Amino acid sequence: MRQKRQRFRIMAALLIALLAVAGAYGVYTVSTYSSRWFGNTGNTRYQEARSTVIPGDVLDRNGVVLASSDESGKRIYNDDWYVRCAMVHITGDPDRNIPNAVDSFQASYLLGFQTSLRERIGTLLSGDRRRGDNVILTVDAQLQTRIAEAFASGEDTRGRPGAVVVMNYRTGEIITLLSIPNFDPMGDLAEIAQRPNSPFWNRAVRSVQAPGSTFKIITSAAVLQYMPGAANAEFDCTTGATQVDDQIIPDYGNGHHGMVSLADAFRVSCNNAFAQASVRLGSKYLRRTAEDFGFNDNFLFRDLVVENSSFPVDIATNGELAWSGIGQGRLLVTPLHMCMVASAIANEGVMMEPRLLLGVTGPTGIQRQGFTAKEYRTACEPQYAARIESFMKDVVARGTGRSAAVEGLSIAGKTGSAESSINNNKVTHAWFVGYIDEPEYPYAVCVFVENGGTGGAVAAPLAKQIFAWLTEK
Amino acid sequence: MAKRRERDDTDRRKKQEKMLVYVEMIFFFSAFLLLTLKEGWDWTGFLLAVLIPVIIYVTTVWLAGWLRADKLLMAIVNFLCALGVLMLHTTDRIAGFSRGIQQLGHYGLGLVVMFCCILFVRIIRRWKWPVRILLALSVILIILPVLIGKEINGAQNWIFIGGFSLQPSEIVKVSLGIILSYYMSERRFWTWFVFLAICMGALMLQRDLGTALVYFTASLILFYAHSGNVLLTLAGLAGASGAAVFGYHAFRHVQNRVAAWKNPWSDYHNTGYQLAQTLIAIASAGLTGVGLGLGSPCDIPYYFTDFIFAIICEQFGLLFGIFTMVLYAIIILRGMSIAIHTRYSFYGLLAMAVTALLGMQTFIIIGGVLKLIPLTGITLPFVSYGGTSMLSCMALIGLLQGVSSINQDEMKYDSQISCAEEAQPAV
Repeated sequence: MRQKRQRFRIMAALLIALLAVAGAYGVYTVSTYSSRWFGNTGNTRYQEARSTVIPGDVLDRNGVVLASSDESGKRIYNDDWYVRCAMVHITGDPDRNIPNAVDSFQASYLLGFQTSLRERIGTLLSGDRRRGDNVILTVDAQLQTRIAEAFASGEDTRGRPGAVVVMNYRTGEIITLLSIPNFDPMGDLAEIAQRPNSPFWNRAVRSVQAPGSTFKIITSAAVLQYMPGAANAEFDCTTGATQVDDQIIPDYGNGHHGMVSLADAFRVSCNNAFAQASVRLGSKYLRRTAEDFGFNDNFLFRDLVVENSSFPVDIATNGELAWSGIGQGRLLVTPLHMCMVASAIANEGVMMEPRLLLGVTGPTGIQRQGFTAKEYRTACEPQYAARIESFMKDVVARGTGRSAAVEGLSIAGKTGSAESSINNNKVTHAWFVGYIDEPEYPYAVCVFVENGGTGGAVAAPLAKQIFAWLTEK
Repeated sequence: MAKRRERDDTDRRKKQEKMLVYVEMIFFFSAFLLLTLKEGWDWTGFLLAVLIPVIIYVTTVWLAGWLRADKLLMAIVNFLCALGVLMLHTTDRIAGFSRGIQQLGHYGLGLVVMFCCILFVRIIRRWKWPVRILLALSVILIILPVLIGKEINGAQNWIFIGGFSLQPSEIVKVSLGIILSYYMSERRFWTWFVFLAICMGALMLQRDLGTALVYFTASLILFYAHSGNVLLTLAGLAGASGAAVFGYHAFRHVQNRVAAWKNPWSDYHNTGYQLAQTLIAIASAGLTGVGLGLGSPCDIPYYFTDFIFAIICEQFGLLFGIFTMVLYAIIILRGMSIAIHTRYSFYGLLAMAVTALLGMQTFIIIGGVLKLIPLTGITLPFVSYGGTSMLSCMALIGLLQGVSSINQDEMKYDSQISCAEEAQPAV
């Protein structure tokens, strides 16, 4: 009988434990996902709140008003057409065509769901219509507009879709998050929806593409970490093509580099060397390093919804492994994540969480708390980051990224020309990731041009302009 | 001395119970009054504001005292039922139904059923024939929907008799508790096993998977608590897992449910809609809620039955939702405590059966709403809208209260005997 009583207790404990698990899971999911769920287009509370609350303003880091509301609560955007277009993927449009733009993703602030009871009573007594909080973003509208202009007018980039990300690698603050093609949020949205290249799509955070040679940053990190004697290793690029199993890996433009060290291979972006290195490394270590840099992780950033990047988990052949090592194959990454990879190298191996919210001010001027820099993950050890930094500086000084060099600035970078196929046509996407290695300008840049050509010729010159603008103030 | 301390203890406890009842009464009075005043005077709301506290007081303080039922349990059950009426009343104003007042009727009827069950347990001393009759009736009832049932939302678990609709699986849930605990205590394995197998088979045919899950897990818990046979319990668990895998591959609607659970956003406009709206509602509320009578509860299909927990979370916040779960945990604890203090194997098992049935049902629906487990459409005990569900839950609590009052009787009897012994001069 006593044993039976004990079993009664155990079973009751089990039932209560189940309920406790459900409760804990509820708290966990709400604290992790609530802003993502709240900002969902299916949330009718948004429309309902819009009818009673005047949405707050959206400002850039210098106080430029990107979006505000008139007396009736209707959303109005910046007066300058150029600024409106450049910032549209960040602010959002009146019909909420851009998922997770600030207007919807930060709706809990903009529509005053975070307003304290005291403030609510205050506005109730004053008899005014309730106003939501003002949101101050980390972006620099002036810079982003200039970049958008340069992208739209540049010889090689004109008319092509693409994305540009600029972030502060010490704090993770996003200075520019540009997606091309963009559009005027106050224009005819029905007509815009018909335009080619899906203008509503925020390519900087949603377009996943093969990283091409920019991935060699990560392959190098893996080689340095897991291949002893990597510093002295030589790779064979005398023929200009490497056969791995049934796959032949050529160099871009069929270059011949001879016997190359890792540093040389990185500088000239030698596919043969990196293909051989990846096969020698093995998929386990390459994958582990890629995951250290955030691949295959579920990105749950506080301020941004970013498409997850993927590194294949089931590489079966050395041929595929070789392709993966040079950033081709089934690798997929967003421009923002590539910018974070460069940032991690710049920031001694520590990857910061990208942030879009600089601060939030209540309608009565109260500052809301909790917007601080946060480490996302440690991507690699500082000594390896320093080695890769020297490789990347070489790229800009005398390698494939020479056209990104700015006189008087210490710049590190890596170009990429990712081969892909659109409607069975072979196309080359141009990539450039890099950063300024100066304490007063801690900025990393990622330029991505769809079907643009080679990274060194198309993406790097635009990056050079951005570096110059970043340091000119 | 000891006696005096005991009396102090009982006095304090009575005081605390009274306090609890007063707090509950004030909560519901102010909540209904607030709703009434918020959108113009409304007699229904005012009626509820007065009637509900009166019901709570009368049942918890007077009737429970008279029947020697557990007052804490009574107070919690009253709170949950009244919370259901409150939530339905708030949504009525938006959706234009009168479910709140209907639920008040269910609640009142449920209380009557509950007191009948208390008396039933107290009066019946020989259970053999009543259980046999119950067994026969239950088998007929559970098979009936397969033959003449009507399909609602993919499950054929309703029958309609002369304008009344009822869900036999809810009624059989009560007799399942009695039948299982009786035959287990009589050590007649095959009788209850075959009955359970019939029930499970009928529920599968009706595609009422949520109820089947409640039946099965509660039976397994009861079986382990009774026999302590780990091997057979694990075998049962393994069999159920196998059946679940088979069910997943065999039934399209099970696959839909699992897919919606994995990612409700991927098929947002069809299978995922319900859960996605639920999550949006809970996320919109945060920890403290949007406030009573606010929010958009009617966005969620079946907000009034399966998803009422989401409505509670939306209006009162997740913290209050967890508080509600704590109330269910207290019901489980009281149920266990009552089971432990019984003298007879049957009563102990009966109390445990009620605890397991209510506990599992609560977990399965709350876990489903919070996206912890795939959603299966069952009601939240005492809170969800629905007559049959309310009556069956109240009947279950009635059984538990009946066992509790028998315990009380016997304790009183014991203390009388010990008093009498003390009074006799030592020989």
